[in-house]
Amino acid sequence: MPEFTSRRGLLFGAAAVSAGAVLTGCTSNESKDDDSSEDNKQAVADDKPGKEVTIGFAGPQADHGWLNAINDNAKERAKKYKDVTLEATEGSNDTAAQIGQVETLINKKVDVLVILPADGKALTQVGLKAMKAGIPVVNLDRIFASAQAYRCWIGGDNYGMGLNAGHYIGEKLKGKKNAKVIELAGLDNLELTKQRTKGFDDALKNYSNIEKVARQAAEFTVESGQSKMSQLLQAQKNFDALWNHDDDQGVGALRAIKQAGRDDFLMVGGAGALSAFEEIKQDRGVLKATVLYPPTMAASAIDLARALGQGKGISGMSEFEIPSSVTLYSAVVDKDNVDQYMSTGFK
Amino acid sequence: MAPEPPLLTMSGITKSFPGVRALDGVDLHVQAGEVHCLLGQNGAGKSTLIKVLAGAHQPDDGTIVWRGDEVTLRSPIAAMRLGIATIYQELDLVEGLSVAENVYLGHESTSAGFVVRGRDARASTAALLKRLGHDEIDPARLVGDLSAAQQQIVSMARALSHEVRLIVMDEPSAALDPDEVDNLFRIVGDLTAAGVAVVYISHRLEEIRRIGDRVTVLKDGRAVAVGLPAKETPTREVIALMTGRNVEYVFPERPQPPGSGAAARPEPVLSVQGLARDGEFAPLDLELRPGEIVGLAGLVGSGRSEILETIFGARKPTSGQVRVDGRALRPGSVRAAVRAGLGLAPEERKAQALLMLESVTRNVSVSSMSRFSYGGWLDRAKELRAARDATRELSLRPDNPSVPVRTLSGGNQQKAVLARWLLRGCRVLLLDEPTRGVDVGARAELYTVIRRLADEGLAVLLVSSEVPEVLGLADRVLVLREGHVVHRAPARDLDEHRVLDLVLASGQHGPTHTEGPHSPATTEGSPAS
Amino acid sequence: MTQPASPARPVTEKSPPADGDKSPWRSRVARADVRTLSLLGVLAALVVIGGVTEPDAFLDTDNLQLILTQASVIGVVTVGMTFVIISGGIDLSVGAIVALASVWATTVATQDYGFAGILFTAVVVGLGCGLVNGLLIAYGGMVPFIATLAMLASGRGLALEITDGKTQMVTVDGVLKLGERDSYVLGIPPLVMVFAAVTAVGWLLLNRTTFGRRSVAVGGNAEAARLAGIDVRRQRLYLYLLSGLCCGIAAFLLIILSGSGQNTNGNLYELDAIAAAIIGGTLLSGGRGTITGSVLGVLIFTTITNIFALNNLETAVQQIAKGAIIVAAVLVQRRTATT
Repeated sequence: MPEFTSRRGLLFGAAAVSAGAVLTGCTSNESKDDDSSEDNKQAVADDKPGKEVTIGFAGPQADHGWLNAINDNAKERAKKYKDVTLEATEGSNDTAAQIGQVETLINKKVDVLVILPADGKALTQVGLKAMKAGIPVVNLDRIFASAQAYRCWIGGDNYGMGLNAGHYIGEKLKGKKNAKVIELAGLDNLELTKQRTKGFDDALKNYSNIEKVARQAAEFTVESGQSKMSQLLQAQKNFDALWNHDDDQGVGALRAIKQAGRDDFLMVGGAGALSAFEEIKQDRGVLKATVLYPPTMAASAIDLARALGQGKGISGMSEFEIPSSVTLYSAVVDKDNVDQYMSTGFK
Repeated sequence: MAPEPPLLTMSGITKSFPGVRALDGVDLHVQAGEVHCLLGQNGAGKSTLIKVLAGAHQPDDGTIVWRGDEVTLRSPIAAMRLGIATIYQELDLVEGLSVAENVYLGHESTSAGFVVRGRDARASTAALLKRLGHDEIDPARLVGDLSAAQQQIVSMARALSHEVRLIVMDEPSAALDPDEVDNLFRIVGDLTAAGVAVVYISHRLEEIRRIGDRVTVLKDGRAVAVGLPAKETPTREVIALMTGRNVEYVFPERPQPPGSGAAARPEPVLSVQGLARDGEFAPLDLELRPGEIVGLAGLVGSGRSEILETIFGARKPTSGQVRVDGRALRPGSVRAAVRAGLGLAPEERKAQALLMLESVTRNVSVSSMSRFSYGGWLDRAKELRAARDATRELSLRPDNPSVPVRTLSGGNQQKAVLARWLLRGCRVLLLDEPTRGVDVGARAELYTVIRRLADEGLAVLLVSSEVPEVLGLADRVLVLREGHVVHRAPARDLDEHRVLDLVLASGQHGPTHTEGPHSPATTEGSPAS
Repeated sequence: MTQPASPARPVTEKSPPADGDKSPWRSRVARADVRTLSLLGVLAALVVIGGVTEPDAFLDTDNLQLILTQASVIGVVTVGMTFVIISGGIDLSVGAIVALASVWATTVATQDYGFAGILFTAVVVGLGCGLVNGLLIAYGGMVPFIATLAMLASGRGLALEITDGKTQMVTVDGVLKLGERDSYVLGIPPLVMVFAAVTAVGWLLLNRTTFGRRSVAVGGNAEAARLAGIDVRRQRLYLYLLSGLCCGIAAFLLIILSGSGQNTNGNLYELDAIAAAIIGGTLLSGGRGTITGSVLGVLIFTTITNIFALNNLETAVQQIAKGAIIVAAVLVQRRTATT
């Protein structure tokens, strides 16, 4: 997650650019198509059909439940709007291929781009290119290296995930002496895994009775989750809580826990898969909660892109423009509030 | 010319590989400015000798004196530094690099130690190519795009890019047209005039007559003649040295000529009708009866091995048929041939016959596994017994079929191949150069084995480039020249001179007639004399 | 002879035949033993390391069961891979076949047919992929590396297409049960039994049948095998079928183990299986290899992973050590093989 200080600096810069854009927007004719009765108020994006907007969407290959949910969320939200045409590319994990796909979208002169890069740093240049061509970019989740490469960034909070997971566990184990916690991390060569772990560790520092005794990294796959979890269970015959970074690998982890016949601890998941929600709702196993990394962010990205394309702000905020940066909250879903989230769970 | 010390003196060079002694005390003396021809059959040791000279092989014994000093050629680079360059028969060029890059490969002219100065290399390559009379070759072209002859020139340019005093050329004319050969000879002439010595390897005797000064003949890893005058020595004598015997063998006695009475003559087991392969050998008719050994005599390139492999189904014939017991075999199918009772002991034993990592047992049993297996399940005790019996029958040494076949000597490896076919119950044995790579001393025993197998009812078709071997072992002989049978006769009616006359054919290279001068008189199955 | 097989070897020719009678045979047996013994030695050393560093967690029945279970899936794949490598080929598609078979066998439609449906589908998909590999290589004249690389790409693609990136949960109780403690027989997990059975069958196939002999012959010298009357092409086809079958079985085991099918299954199995076979003494160029060695190779890798996890070491360290062990094992074997 980017530091707050730099974020603020970027925000000002981006705001200045967008202010100019909005000014020209206001003087143009199209803006009068909108609710002209509310002349003095901000133009706020809503469900009513407005100016036609073509949104180009480029994401990575959906070889993982969460990424698949990202694609679905984007497509479904776009379908909801009569005034939005979605140009979605085949997902690709190959940086070069994705650059090519984004360039194609630029050439097609789409109105707005939504990009979830396979690799944020590697796609920065093509983001810059789009911005220079006058196509605003909504950068989804994996952030570009330069704030000039996007008009708006929206994404999850990996550090916050770890933080909230840590606090949830901390509260649950309050008063327990010498409590032991273990962590089943995701792919270790990803930055986001490090951020989640850092947040988790920082949260646990607030609870002097808790010690993290083990951490192993799986690979976001069921197979690796099962394998690493079974080893962790063998290594730690006694512990009180487990945080697993990802609900997909959690399927394997839960399988390993069942196979080992263990139920003497509490488990918190990550991301928000449907299977995890159901497990939490039924409340019969060790999984008591999961920390969200919501794929609904893709739907929100489409909203933002539409607002950008129509030159509007978003409701609930007094600014004329959409923000330049939106960090989503990593809510903790447990038995008490799971019903509310059930529809957002991904398979 | 005043007597000067020889440029190169190799003496007593000995080199062994597992199973065979490739060089056995070979001497070679080369003078500066001469063309020294190295002659010998395949497997005589030429390749090994020039590899020793090129620093690619280290001799087990012997000394190399270069310009008066004894030297050790530890590596190809060491040899090159002394001024010894080798142009191999299989060109060792990198097809994906340009002509100039190939020429200067390994000794690129560089700035700052590693930046290749391509322009210099191209300029000097162009100069070298011009000197070789081939300035039409663009130094910047990829070698892979050049013709075989042009590649040969590039190889030569590479040799000349060093300060050379001696160039070894391994059959340089093999890939060349006649006028290109003329150019090659002009280059060789220029080189020798400049004092460079050339060691020239060729099968073509007329070339040796044209450019050679002296000749060294290798045979079975020994030098059988050193420094013969190339122009004066009669062809027959040279050929006799190559194909003849430096040791007299006692060949096993032939049984009474088969068919003393027409009724007693067994039916042919193998009959070949009009078998031909375009570009390799002309239509061939041949019959083979149980108990007889038929020899195919001819020089390298006369189509001998090709004929055997085609009969065996390893090559697909252009036309013609192979019948066993009157039934035609599916053409181009080894399995059909093996099932019908044919067995081949190929020339390249290691590459084509043996499983070098495996034991003798497994090498022997590989063609008859169904005999020791029930539904694919091997009875290993039975297999071992059978392999032991088969190898004992051939007196294979050591008398332990569990040893890895690679530890065997050449002769015993050959016996392992024969045992394979014996065990299979094979009825026609095709032997391609059966004594190649077999130490001289072990050959007589192999002859006895082959004769005994024939006496026991096998039909044997024998190919050999050693005329005495064919004459000594076979009952009947077919003489081949350039894919044509030029003569057929009982072995007892031929002698070495006659065969040499036939294979050399006074008429040089030109196309030979299908019917040799004698063939009408001595057709297949001519009455025994 | 034109080109000797190996340069610069001491002369054996001079020794009289009687002398070389028994000793090469003994040394050969000894070599095979040394190879197996050295692998067992490595395994023993690992057990000591595990026992010293984590005496409580490492040395108990649960952990033994765990190691063997974890080894089962990749172990079955490695048995098939060993045959392919011995025959001079390579199968880069094993991981993709495992993934494809595991997702195909766990689709809703397949699960309707219950236990048998899942098992049948996994095996048939494995065999089908093996058949395609075999036909392309044996009769289409394609290089194994390329043909199986193509299968890797398309198999993974098809697996993704089937799942849409979603995890397919297994709902058939009979399958799920097999992965749980209740179904252990005398403390042996069913997965481990399958692994043991595949190993035994593989060993017998390689050492006691004509099929095994032909595989070795084709790998040792394909031209010699052809001229000895072996149908080299048909043999190659069978070998890739066998590898595909092993992948199908492995996919079924993986479904039992993870209770699900996912297109990411079998990730990098091709490298793990090749590495295990190589450190087990199988020649990458073909013609030599043992099932025992390969299985020991798998157990060594699984034990290392286990020890690292029990000692809570980082992934990076585990990967570095794995690479180092491959190099060390191959170097040690080359030494023991040549001296």
